[in-house]
Amino acid sequence: MAKKKETFYKNSSMIIGLILVSCVLLICILSYFYMPYEPNEMNISDRFIKPSDNSEYILGTDNFGRDILSRIMIGSRTVLTVGIGSVCIGAFIGIALGALSAQFKRVVGSAIMRVMDGLMAFPGILLAMMLVTVVGRGAQGSIIAISIFMIPTFARLVNSMMLDTESLLYIKAAKSYGSTNMQIFFKHFIPAMLPKLITQFSSAVGSAVMIETSLSFLGLGIQPPNASWGLMLSEARQFFLQYPYLAVAPGIAIIMTVLGFNLIGDGLNDLLIKRRSKA
Amino acid sequence: MKKILSLLMALVMLLSLSACSGDNGSTDNGQTTNPTDTTNEKTELTMGYQTDPEGLDPQRTAAASTFSITNNIYDTLVGVTSDWEIIPRLAKSWEISEDGMEITFALRDDVYFHNGRQFKASDVEFTFNRLKDAESPKAGDYENIVKIETIDDYNIKFSTEKLDVELLKWFAYPWTAIVPEEAVNNLKTEPVGTGAFKLKEWVPQQRIVLQRNDNYYGEKAKLETVKLMLIPDATSMIAGLQVGDLDIIPLTGDQVTMIEGNPEYSVVSQPMNAVQIMSLNTNNEILANEKVRQAMAMAINKDEVIEASSFGYGDKIGSHLPSTSPDYYDTNSVMEYNVEKAKELLKEAGYENGFEIKMTLPKNYQIHVDAGQVIADQLSKIGIKVNVELVEWGTWLSEVYGAKNFETTVVGHTGRLDSYAFLKRYKSDSDDYISLKTGEVDALLEQALQELDDNKRKEIYQEIQIILANKLPAIYIQAPHTMFGMSSNVEGMSIFPIDVYDFKDVYFK
Amino acid sequence: MLNYILSRFKSSIVVLFVVSIITFAVLMIIPGDPAQLILGTEATPDVVQELHSAMGLDKPLYEQYGNWLINLLKFDMGTSYLYGESVTTLILNCLPITLSVALYSMIIATIIAFIFGIISAIKKDSVIDYFSRSIMQLGTAIPSFWIGMVFVVFFGLKLKWFPISGYVPASESFLGFIKSITMPSVVLAIGEFGLLLRIIRSSMQESISQDYMDMAKVKGLSMGKIYLKYALRGAMVAPLTIIGMQFAKLVGGTTVVETVFALPGLGRLVLTAVEHRDIVLLQGLVMFITSSVILITFIVDILIMFMNPRIKTFERGE
Repeated sequence: MAKKKETFYKNSSMIIGLILVSCVLLICILSYFYMPYEPNEMNISDRFIKPSDNSEYILGTDNFGRDILSRIMIGSRTVLTVGIGSVCIGAFIGIALGALSAQFKRVVGSAIMRVMDGLMAFPGILLAMMLVTVVGRGAQGSIIAISIFMIPTFARLVNSMMLDTESLLYIKAAKSYGSTNMQIFFKHFIPAMLPKLITQFSSAVGSAVMIETSLSFLGLGIQPPNASWGLMLSEARQFFLQYPYLAVAPGIAIIMTVLGFNLIGDGLNDLLIKRRSKA
Repeated sequence: MKKILSLLMALVMLLSLSACSGDNGSTDNGQTTNPTDTTNEKTELTMGYQTDPEGLDPQRTAAASTFSITNNIYDTLVGVTSDWEIIPRLAKSWEISEDGMEITFALRDDVYFHNGRQFKASDVEFTFNRLKDAESPKAGDYENIVKIETIDDYNIKFSTEKLDVELLKWFAYPWTAIVPEEAVNNLKTEPVGTGAFKLKEWVPQQRIVLQRNDNYYGEKAKLETVKLMLIPDATSMIAGLQVGDLDIIPLTGDQVTMIEGNPEYSVVSQPMNAVQIMSLNTNNEILANEKVRQAMAMAINKDEVIEASSFGYGDKIGSHLPSTSPDYYDTNSVMEYNVEKAKELLKEAGYENGFEIKMTLPKNYQIHVDAGQVIADQLSKIGIKVNVELVEWGTWLSEVYGAKNFETTVVGHTGRLDSYAFLKRYKSDSDDYISLKTGEVDALLEQALQELDDNKRKEIYQEIQIILANKLPAIYIQAPHTMFGMSSNVEGMSIFPIDVYDFKDVYFK
Repeated sequence: MLNYILSRFKSSIVVLFVVSIITFAVLMIIPGDPAQLILGTEATPDVVQELHSAMGLDKPLYEQYGNWLINLLKFDMGTSYLYGESVTTLILNCLPITLSVALYSMIIATIIAFIFGIISAIKKDSVIDYFSRSIMQLGTAIPSFWIGMVFVVFFGLKLKWFPISGYVPASESFLGFIKSITMPSVVLAIGEFGLLLRIIRSSMQESISQDYMDMAKVKGLSMGKIYLKYALRGAMVAPLTIIGMQFAKLVGGTTVVETVFALPGLGRLVLTAVEHRDIVLLQGLVMFITSSVILITFIVDILIMFMNPRIKTFERGE
């Protein structure tokens, strides 16, 4: 009975995660077809309309009279692009580096891992701040900064996984009958690592979205007048005492997205553990 | 288990250590959560501020955040009132020669620096030489002074190369504050001046504490202590006022509604001696076309911009002088808001389908960022696509101002006490980041510099303003208001035509 | 054992070195001339050039790096352009605040995580279990400045329980000190306890399901004692590592919270340095923070080693 409850919960958290993420994806896709208003269009005479006041603007307007719902919708594009994009890049480079360092264990591998350790020693926001200062702000800068931040995690993961399984019999066997390293890598290692990588990927997207939000809050991320949820929160901060409603929509949007990806990541992780313990 | 316990103990010890090593003591009796004590004995003013000064050495920085504070620690030869009148300070009187090329100051003989030494003319000479040396940001402004002569301990003469009828006003700026030679090396962190307050403590990122100078030569300050607390967040700032932690804060337009009408607080507001302008790089091919600039000006609804960026607390302007300047002339009707006409002009200029242009905004200044965004939106309505880029103030200074690497920008310029100084950048050969290259104001500016008759000079400036309003080397937006919000028992805080705080006359009712 | 310590020490030094190169390189690429910045808008180009040379910005990069590194070893991180003070002094002024907040929030997070983590592990799938897992997820998903703002308005302004901003040093008033860092610490803790809770819970679960647990039951010990004495001890390794890591991360990650609550800590100092292009200050700060992180990680690793006999034998076999 307890077992059933547990599986239910584990699945339910993943289901919730999937629902949340799908909502966000849906909003994003919808934004390409229809948005109630032009998200960047200003209407000074209509500023600070609360959601309850006026049925024309479902979520109200901001300090420039822009429709909040439309901005949330278009903001989902940036969030997903930066979040998923940066993790993709980081993961790709990280996996490559991790594989390389596992392959050439001695000097190159060791050097790469040291650099990864070095990068990991920087607390996230600090690294992001430094990198953004150099590569510039905006969507591009954020993506670069966050991808670099993601690289060490994936590199280390891949490196340790590969070193772990290398001594496995079937790998040795594959080597003995002449498969090249590349073949082994793609045919054996990748499938073996895939579950863990996907889990990591999902959680990483959650983190990426969080970091982007913080960067925008500090003024180092997406720049006005573009809409990014983090930026909207930062702009809402100025008026928080008089118009608290400004912070509600973007805040909830962020929480939904980060929560969604984290839940999926966790759910996958639990599935993995279950599968492994069964094996 | 034991290991865990010892680890915990270590952590606790570390915590208490760090707690105790927190800064060395300061006088703290203003940090209460009770609303203001309205006893007559309240002599400590707590003020919120947002930007740390860049050192407290008046000749080594150009930051307004510095001068707000140093204005209380040091003195200048002359001061300026909120009505733009020049009054004596360290100089008790002055005499300008017939030809206007020399000015002689008679100095007070009862002034002492905070380190106890008496103030003398040699200090003035030292300060001005320092002001003109390589490390001083304002050196360029004082090139006209070619000779400094100490006549005796309390008399000093300055000679200029070219006639400048407003010479006196140059001695009122906070960067001419007199410093003692012996303390020069540490002025940044240990300022020594003759002012009504001494620096008691400056903990960067936290607070600045000023203490009354009981040896002040003038009327002693009514306040015993002024505590400035650094609060970078505007919301926390006004919350601080409302909770009673702060007695006075700089206020932004949107916050005024929060406390006005409430008898517990009062608001002081006045247009600044500063202008917000949209600077245009007339070297740019598109912007070099006068009709384009005029079209842009007509497409901008300044009232909306002022509403959005200052919540209405700004005076619309049409030219480069702020509404508070005695030489101000209203040119608002020259380029009125007219979208149809703007489109026509654009067509005439050959850009019927609009064009794309970049706008660089200084991210540290919300008012310019907001104004810029609204302007970008308004320009899009006549087909001009504006690509907004926010940069750090430092980058703005080196890229836009220094390297002139920009197309358009929105920024504020702090006013001067004399209009020539403020307008001289428009000379065609000024090499400033904006200027009127076609030279229409060159001759007029030269004239103004030498015109002794006040009325005639005013007329010249009037003409200059009209030309600028028509030719538009920049589009002139507003003179924003400076505002303070304070507990209703705070009196005496005035707003000056130079960007400084003056706590001398502040007191609690 | 000594071998392990030495090898960890060696790798820490290497990492430090890598970090210093990364820090230096990255910050040298930042656009904007510090000399121009200090002198402001009115200065002429030759004046700027003079200061530029005087500040040593002309020398070749490796020379600048060398000088910087040598000074670092003497604990001299240079003088800040912005403040005119030595970077070391500025850091030491701000350090206590950041440390206090980081520690306080770790303590709060640890206590909450332990309580809920242990109970969740013992009473799996109970209401408490679901509850803890839900809030754990929620905690990490909430942006810290958002919840910070809410706290400021609610607890600071409306209820007036805590000061809305500012820092009161403990030397002045211990109660005031605690009050001024409570809200920021709680906000940070909300973000941190999630991970810790999960690790504690899974560690405890693993520990509980170990064979020796059954042994203990057979021996007839009470459940309470079993959990505390045996299960917990076995479960401590992972959580401790995480605590160490999180604490280290916090030392450099308090920028956002410090901005919202106007705490004059290291995080705010970093932001100021970035905004003003105060390269010297920024380099010193980054080196200091990352060195602390590396140091803390090193110490945690050593402690773990003492607690976990498995590593000792592993090393010997290597």
